[in-house]
Amino acid sequence: MATTSERIGPTERVQVAPARRQGVGRYRAGRISLYVVLAVLGIVAAMPFVWMILSSFKTAEEIRRIPPTFWPEQATLDNYRTILDDPELPLALFYRNSAFVAVMNTLATLFTGSILGYIFAKFRFRGRQALFWFILATMMIPSQVTMLPGYLILLQLNLLNNLWGLIVPSFVDAFAIFVMRQFILSIPNDESSSARVDGASEWRIYRSVVLPQLGAPLATLGMLTFMFNWNAYLWPLIVLTEQNKRTLPIILTWYSTQHSSQDNLVMAASVLIVIPVLFVFALSQKWIVRGLTLTGGR
Amino acid sequence: MSEAIGVGRRRRWFGGREGAQKRFVAGVTLPAVAFMAVFSLLPIVWAFALAFFDFSPRRAGSPFLGLGGDNPFVGLEHFKAMTDFSADQPIQVSQFHTAVKVTLAFAFLVVPLNLAITLPLAAMIESVHTRVKPIFRTIFFLPVLASSVGVAIIWGFVLHPQNGLLNGAITRITGKTTQIAWISDPSLVYLGIPVALLAVLVAYLWQDIGYNLVIFIAALQAIPQSVKDAARVDGASAWQTFRHITLPLLKPTILLASILTMISAFQVFDLFQVMTDGGPQDQTRALSLDIYRNAFRYQQMGWAAAVSVVLFAIVFVISLAQTRLLRNRWEY
Repeated sequence: MATTSERIGPTERVQVAPARRQGVGRYRAGRISLYVVLAVLGIVAAMPFVWMILSSFKTAEEIRRIPPTFWPEQATLDNYRTILDDPELPLALFYRNSAFVAVMNTLATLFTGSILGYIFAKFRFRGRQALFWFILATMMIPSQVTMLPGYLILLQLNLLNNLWGLIVPSFVDAFAIFVMRQFILSIPNDESSSARVDGASEWRIYRSVVLPQLGAPLATLGMLTFMFNWNAYLWPLIVLTEQNKRTLPIILTWYSTQHSSQDNLVMAASVLIVIPVLFVFALSQKWIVRGLTLTGGR
Repeated sequence: MSEAIGVGRRRRWFGGREGAQKRFVAGVTLPAVAFMAVFSLLPIVWAFALAFFDFSPRRAGSPFLGLGGDNPFVGLEHFKAMTDFSADQPIQVSQFHTAVKVTLAFAFLVVPLNLAITLPLAAMIESVHTRVKPIFRTIFFLPVLASSVGVAIIWGFVLHPQNGLLNGAITRITGKTTQIAWISDPSLVYLGIPVALLAVLVAYLWQDIGYNLVIFIAALQAIPQSVKDAARVDGASAWQTFRHITLPLLKPTILLASILTMISAFQVFDLFQVMTDGGPQDQTRALSLDIYRNAFRYQQMGWAAAVSVVLFAIVFVISLAQTRLLRNRWEY
């Protein structure tokens, strides 16, 4: 931390010095207690995850013990073996379902968000304002309102109980268009103009001039979209009814109600489903953090 | 040559290639408009229409969106029924009243508690050494990335009456075997609020504080150190600096964060469904859960649509307040 004395001139330092000398002891005590408080809060915040991971290594007998143990007495991998061998729980299939939906939605959102954001930022055409306001307005409508007709529309299109039912309706995403537009507004027009003079097609300008400048917002938006879809629960719960079509969050609730008396298995399943993605995204949280602070989006 | 045509136009961009540009804009925009007509506009119009019909997806109804026919028009009946406070009100009305109460209590508790945790925490994390800052930030941010279903299951197990971590810790500390059913005993009420609702609240706060934390840390970093230094030189204590310098500068961010937090608190579904399933005795039956059950369990989609319109109205009023307040955001 920069101290005050580094920043002020010599005359001021003379005036401040006596007060500071008294304060040094108190300052150090303050720093230590700050770290102690933060460490305690951090431990409390991490505790549910720690408890889940520790419990996943306990035996069926130990997990039922009253009062519960904290550290597993005989750590075992049996719970994981049971889950991975369970023919009713083909985890690879559910990972594939979740990944398919999340990747397709992310790609679609990045494409439509960037190209429509580009059009709203850099072109003028009739109805532009009205259309943009409409897109902004749809963001204010809670998903609980549109999910009922959304279900009925998928029923008509015969997309219920189909992974495409989770992808097709979210092809055009209002939030993505808004974020990309805001970013593209700040990009200067010089390069596009000179590409135009050189005779490049409009599509080519989007692809080779505009898109390469969108790396940072695309990465952030991509991660947010991926996480949102990967964790989505309510909409998949409505759309998917057949077991083998389901995504990971739904399978996790199904598994936990099936094995409600075997929390050791449920905890191991939770670890397998929650932790890997958590790990991947913790490593790249810089992008997510940057995106959140850019947009304030949820 | 494009220059020549472009001269005099407000935007030189359109110079000379208007045809190609128009085709490009139309080629992208028209499919998008067609798509949004089906997947954005239609659901909104249809949702509001449903609220005026006694609609069930099991009945065919008329060819036009299934409205009419076996799914008769009932006008404002659903909304009139919502204001029925008599003793013999239908069960769905009393469930709706419960849901409104639960949701309002939840949302209005979430916001102050969230801010009371995230603001000081952000200030603390911001003032530690840069080397350890990312560690703390990651710990508090991780739950944001976790699936809320996973969060619900983890917390359900932490609060398990016999084998849970919380009761186990209380037993250790007090020496008395404690088996409190935090999320399933309807008789547990604290300050007029069901303990089960408070349990969901704690889990939600745990999952949600990472958002505001990140936003506040960024806002704190945006305040120039020289402003704070000036106050310290003038003899202000750390608390006075925070109270009279930092806090006022953060006000726009706090306002935005609190409104976003409240809007999302009104729409929480996953925790209520997985952690408590609305129980015990509907004590955690939130509006989103009420809508889901009416629509997809009881097949009462008309009623569910009417409830969703009420939810929309609440969120809409708050969003309006947001824009109104944020318009004055630069008064400092």
